[in-house]
Amino acid sequence: MKRDAWLPVLLALAFFALVWKAAVVVGGLPPYILPPPETVVVRLVSAWLDGTVWPHFVTTMIEVTLGFVVGAGLGLIVGYGLARSALFERLASPYLVAAQAIPILVLAPLLVLWFGPGLVSKVVICSLIVFFPVAIATMVGIRSVEPRLIELGRSLRATNRQILTTLEIPAALPAIFGGMRVGVTLAVVGAVVGEWAGADKGLAVLINLARGSLFDIPLMFATLVTIALVGVALYLGVVVAERRFVGVR
Amino acid sequence: MTAATTPALAQAASTGVITLHDVAFAFPTRTGAPLPVLDGIDLEIPGGGIVALIGPNGCGKSTLLRVVAGLLDPGSGKALLDGEPIVGPDPRIGLVFQEPRLLPWRTAADNITYPLELAGWPSERRTERLAVLTELVGLDPSIAGHRPAELSGGTRQRVALARALALEPEVLLLDEPFSALDALTRERFDLELLRLWERSATTIVMVTHSIPEAIMVADRVVVLSARPGRVVADIAVGLPRPRTIDDLDDAAVSRTAREVRAHLGDADAAESVAADLDRLAS
Repeated sequence: MKRDAWLPVLLALAFFALVWKAAVVVGGLPPYILPPPETVVVRLVSAWLDGTVWPHFVTTMIEVTLGFVVGAGLGLIVGYGLARSALFERLASPYLVAAQAIPILVLAPLLVLWFGPGLVSKVVICSLIVFFPVAIATMVGIRSVEPRLIELGRSLRATNRQILTTLEIPAALPAIFGGMRVGVTLAVVGAVVGEWAGADKGLAVLINLARGSLFDIPLMFATLVTIALVGVALYLGVVVAERRFVGVR
Repeated sequence: MTAATTPALAQAASTGVITLHDVAFAFPTRTGAPLPVLDGIDLEIPGGGIVALIGPNGCGKSTLLRVVAGLLDPGSGKALLDGEPIVGPDPRIGLVFQEPRLLPWRTAADNITYPLELAGWPSERRTERLAVLTELVGLDPSIAGHRPAELSGGTRQRVALARALALEPEVLLLDEPFSALDALTRERFDLELLRLWERSATTIVMVTHSIPEAIMVADRVVVLSARPGRVVADIAVGLPRPRTIDDLDDAAVSRTAREVRAHLGDADAAESVAADLDRLAS
């Protein structure tokens, strides 16, 4: 991105901080209800420097990464199957939609009960939530391949495998990346919800600690900001990968 | 017509011979009764010959081309290339569609070499062939790195033509290849196609809607009837080769055009008779 492109982003951020500060001052809110932005920034920096955040951050990142990889990977495979087989779509889609209709918030405690309070339950929750948008995007993307291009491929004696790798996947990539953009932010939500349902480490655990036993509200906000930044960073990561693989068409 | 002015015709003829014998084709429909599109097509195209297929809309010209290309299996009859049945897409046959059909995510160069990539050519050989092909179809080498969206319609169709020639086919099938181009560009492309043919000696079958284009390019103009398509006329074009744009003013052209038009008129008449019969039957 050019420097000019960053300017509006910075201005919007400054405006947000200003409104926040104004709310604190005008409303006369005490720091345990809404700490002013500068307090949160200071606490954010100190919490990172003194190592308060780090172990929780690492735990959450591992959960998000593994959950995203597993969920998106399964989403790609199942999405391809949905696009290619009408029978598979008919058999599988009721379950997929039903699974999607049950709030993950309700499933999370059950999954923690089954898979324990460790890494596994969080990865399962993350992948569940990532799976659906990626699977649907893959299905739509593969179906969007122009039949004329497939005919071209056949006239050039492309094998089924070559049709997949040189026509279907490249044509479906923009849609798949669209699904992954949604999926990667949902992965963060999944990890946080999973930790909320039972864990001993992770950013959601830190939020619970900060508002409970530590009663450190600025730390709670600092952790919230950290979670938001993780989401933004991962989203940008997908956007960068998309530019790299899809480019300008 | 002397041998000196038609080098390609003199050399060719041994390969790229297309024989269609009693070819019929019907599309399956939802209601169950197949829709006959081609019926009893008999056609012999010599190696290195140029044949234009012309006929009313929906008469099965493109379907016939797809049968020759091995993309459609004829319901009955025989389609042969050099005496052997055409059982599927064949590297000896190159196909240019009505629209360029380029892969939008690939550069012009990668689109041209796509058939070579599918055929498993190593990248050095692909690069060599690319240089030959761009020269052959008159492409500006500087566009090699551009994507189709950045190219003009004419340039895109040149890329498609280069792609069809990539594997040095004996037969080039063209499905209204220049119909999306403006009249002037189209004329120029027709002449360039002839120059290319003089160098490569391929058999060319071109589907077209334009009588002047058919006469300009072809040795023979084959007129198909309305659906189901049958050959209603096979008219020889008595123009010498190599042809130039001035040949279009030749008296032979207007004579041939009149003949083609008369047969197309018959085809239309046949169509209305068929429609009447349909009405009576229902």
